[in-house]
Amino acid sequence: MPPSIHPVDLITALRHKHLTPAIVFLTSRRACDEAMETFDHADLVLPPARQEAIAVALERVMTQHPSIAEHPLIPIVRRVGIAAHHAGHLPSWKIAVEELMRQGHLDAVFATTTLAAGVDFPARTVVITQSSIRKSRDFTDLTIGEVQQIAGRAGRRGKDHVGFAIVTPSPYIDLMVLTKGLTGQPEAIDSQFTISYPMVLNLLKAHPHEQIQGILAKSFAQFQLNQRAELLEQKLDALHGQMEPFGPRVCTDWITQWHTFDHARRHRHTRHQTHRSESPEISARLPFLTPGRVVGLGRGRGIVLRQYRSKGQKNSMLTVLRPDNAVTECPVTSVKEVYDRTYDFAETPTYPWCSTGTFDRLSHQLEELPPRLPVLPILVSTGLEPLSDAIVQSLGDFPCPTCSSRPACQKDFTTASRLRQEQQRHTKSIQALRTSLWHRFQERVEVLQKFGYLSPATQLTADGEWARLIRIDHSLLITELIRAEAFTGADPSLLAGVLASLAHDDDRPGAFPRISPGLSSLLGQVRKLAESLSPYEDPPLLRADVAALVERWIADPTLTWIGLCRLTTMAEGDIYRLLARTLEFLSQVQALKFTHPGLAESTSHAITLIRRGVLEELP
Amino acid sequence: MTTEELEKLLAQQPVALLHRLARGRVHRHFRAGKRRLIELLLQHSSQNRAGLESDLQTLIDGQHARSDAGSSRIRRAPVIVHKKASPRGAEPDSAETAVSLSTWLEGLGVPSPQPFVPDPWQSEALSALNETDVVISVPTGSGKTYVAVEAARRAMEDNRSVIYTSPLKALSNTKYTEFSRIFGPEKVGILTGDRQENGQAPLLIMTTEILRNLLYDAASGEIDVRLDTLGLVILDESQYLADPERGVVWEETIIFCPGQARLLLLSASIGNPEDIADWLTSIRSTVCRLVRHSKRTVPLRAGYLHPNGKLTPLFRTLGIPYGHPSQLHPEATRLFHEYEEETLPAGRPRR
Repeated sequence: MPPSIHPVDLITALRHKHLTPAIVFLTSRRACDEAMETFDHADLVLPPARQEAIAVALERVMTQHPSIAEHPLIPIVRRVGIAAHHAGHLPSWKIAVEELMRQGHLDAVFATTTLAAGVDFPARTVVITQSSIRKSRDFTDLTIGEVQQIAGRAGRRGKDHVGFAIVTPSPYIDLMVLTKGLTGQPEAIDSQFTISYPMVLNLLKAHPHEQIQGILAKSFAQFQLNQRAELLEQKLDALHGQMEPFGPRVCTDWITQWHTFDHARRHRHTRHQTHRSESPEISARLPFLTPGRVVGLGRGRGIVLRQYRSKGQKNSMLTVLRPDNAVTECPVTSVKEVYDRTYDFAETPTYPWCSTGTFDRLSHQLEELPPRLPVLPILVSTGLEPLSDAIVQSLGDFPCPTCSSRPACQKDFTTASRLRQEQQRHTKSIQALRTSLWHRFQERVEVLQKFGYLSPATQLTADGEWARLIRIDHSLLITELIRAEAFTGADPSLLAGVLASLAHDDDRPGAFPRISPGLSSLLGQVRKLAESLSPYEDPPLLRADVAALVERWIADPTLTWIGLCRLTTMAEGDIYRLLARTLEFLSQVQALKFTHPGLAESTSHAITLIRRGVLEELP
Repeated sequence: MTTEELEKLLAQQPVALLHRLARGRVHRHFRAGKRRLIELLLQHSSQNRAGLESDLQTLIDGQHARSDAGSSRIRRAPVIVHKKASPRGAEPDSAETAVSLSTWLEGLGVPSPQPFVPDPWQSEALSALNETDVVISVPTGSGKTYVAVEAARRAMEDNRSVIYTSPLKALSNTKYTEFSRIFGPEKVGILTGDRQENGQAPLLIMTTEILRNLLYDAASGEIDVRLDTLGLVILDESQYLADPERGVVWEETIIFCPGQARLLLLSASIGNPEDIADWLTSIRSTVCRLVRHSKRTVPLRAGYLHPNGKLTPLFRTLGIPYGHPSQLHPEATRLFHEYEEETLPAGRPRR
């Protein structure tokens, strides 16, 4: 059995069952073209009357769009009444096919699934031959929305009682994807909000910085983030309710307290291990770094308030009272000297780890210390185990063992700590959801400040004023190129060539004309700059070959469209799109006529040179 | 059998059996609950009492025969084995109910020309647009363009200008030709990245990017554009909001759309149009109206065409069984299995 139905058989079958006109969606442009070729010698000719009607209709379109007169598909269209319609064709050809289809002259059109949205004409029947679609180099299954978009072309209002969507298998088709797609509910859509540099500049031009957060909050992105945040807030409310029985006890934060105590108790052994991994100098010091001890740090001195271990820190940590009432956390390794001086005070389990009175007294005493203090001689013993005592002692630091609410704490700890963790997680996520857009905006602002498009007070600088008019992809690269005067004195053809390589984001291999030395060196410069900007903006593909094509079109006004197409293997439609997109980029640069008159003039020159032949004729 | 007896007998039957009995007798029987179903069946029985009774008897007998075959626990097993072992022989019961090709192809043809009457949803959308923004989410080919054209006509009659945007330049061009034909070429203008024609016309067609740029320029106060007289902004193919690269442009356009202009969002069927409507309500001054329906104007049928040229319906039902993707036509299932059997390389796992 053939892997898929032969196009001639397909059309025969459709005609036989009166299922024409039909749109046949195929995997690729090549499949469409090959399908058309199979009709070269097929015995499927239309009755003369219909052939005549098609010829007349074609003539009419041709008067408007002469570029289709030479189209190689015209004989088949006239003889068999079928056509191909895909992105490789010129827009004029697509217009002609759509017109013929609307007037009901054609029996079938072969189109690519990729362009299903662009196929804006209905038919009685739609033929689906695949369940996946090529999206940026990978095949992905069609979504329900896409299947329905394709199937939706079937059934013309007022011309058909019923529309037909016909599945015909080809290799690697997955029938489930299609049946689900036909019967399912389309997917929900999600915001794809991104913050681009031109957006930041334009927003800041029109609104003061304080208002922007409010504007971003109006986006659909924020609306959807808020929906998620609200869900989390509901959960959070529920958690608050569940947390009620676990309020403050003997100590306010009994969960942390118990957690630390419990951890210390359980991990006595492992603690031991970690202590041993510390260097002997450090471990020898540890027993002396008790609360009240005066120590010398890198800068100045301080009084130890507590010693503790922290997750993620290899060494024990100290909380130290520094001059000017500063309380800092530092690892024991940063202690330079241990002085022979201690102050007694009553420790408390929460910040600032002693009573306020003691805190004042201690900081006063710290100021009063004499400039020279005796250093405590510490014996470093490598082989000995001086630490077991320290651990027992540190356990003794906890009030828990003798606390009256110990049984209750022990019982409730697991539940309470789980609830609290969840609470913290949700709070964090909610905060992230509410502020993420604003943070992304701020990141962009910082980059623009760094490059000097925005002043530190987030006002547009002179460069920012014109840069905001460049509202296309790779805007940062283009504005930086203009600032670096890369285009100064450049020929219009070089300028257009560079913009073409930025505008063309499609990776389509093929043969291309040789690139001129001038353009090649300019592209080298662009590439270097693009690489240096890569932390802030994804670098473009910068294909030299498409640049050369556009350069040639502009540099040589005698070059005909056919001549241009012969220079490359790119499809006509692709060349057209490349030139059209280059035009779009050029017209953005042309908008800088007040700040960069020379550049704008060269750009408008390029624009007039591009607009000739097919490009002039087409909309 | 008296009516009371019949009613009693019906009440004893499982509801699935009643539905099977109601098939072809009661219109939209799947909508009815058991009690209502019995009522409807009894109503129907006045026409053909004997037929109903005999069908009921066959169904009851068939059910007994099936339940005799085994307990309910192992009843499932043979079905699965049966599917795997021989895709050819479908359950006799289902083959009976599956639609035949000739029925499936029935009704094909051109309807006689009828005066155009707008669908209720179209009128609803148009009248809502007088007061507020409207989001329309309907299947492809339902006639969104009619709403756009009518809305534009009404706005222009009020001397308000209209902007119509589409995601693709090709679509813009098509619409330009179409609208020029409807309203006259002097009333319609087009602005795309590289084309500007009749830029002062009351109805402007452009790509969404161009409108976004216009709105930015207007916000920074450097162009006049007639944004004060702008009465209506139509965003076609609004499902592009979810486009990974370009979706942001739709959001910007909607956020910066002037307050006095009405927004009309036309979209193909999407899963969460109510989110879009709620969003618009939250950022615009009026409560956005959502118009959605999933029923196609021209009903759709799905078929399966085998590479050897054999055509069968794809689903058991005549139309598309929405929400039931597994109701495949036994013949289509058999042919597709055959196809996979022959085309898949040996050893390749099949989904």
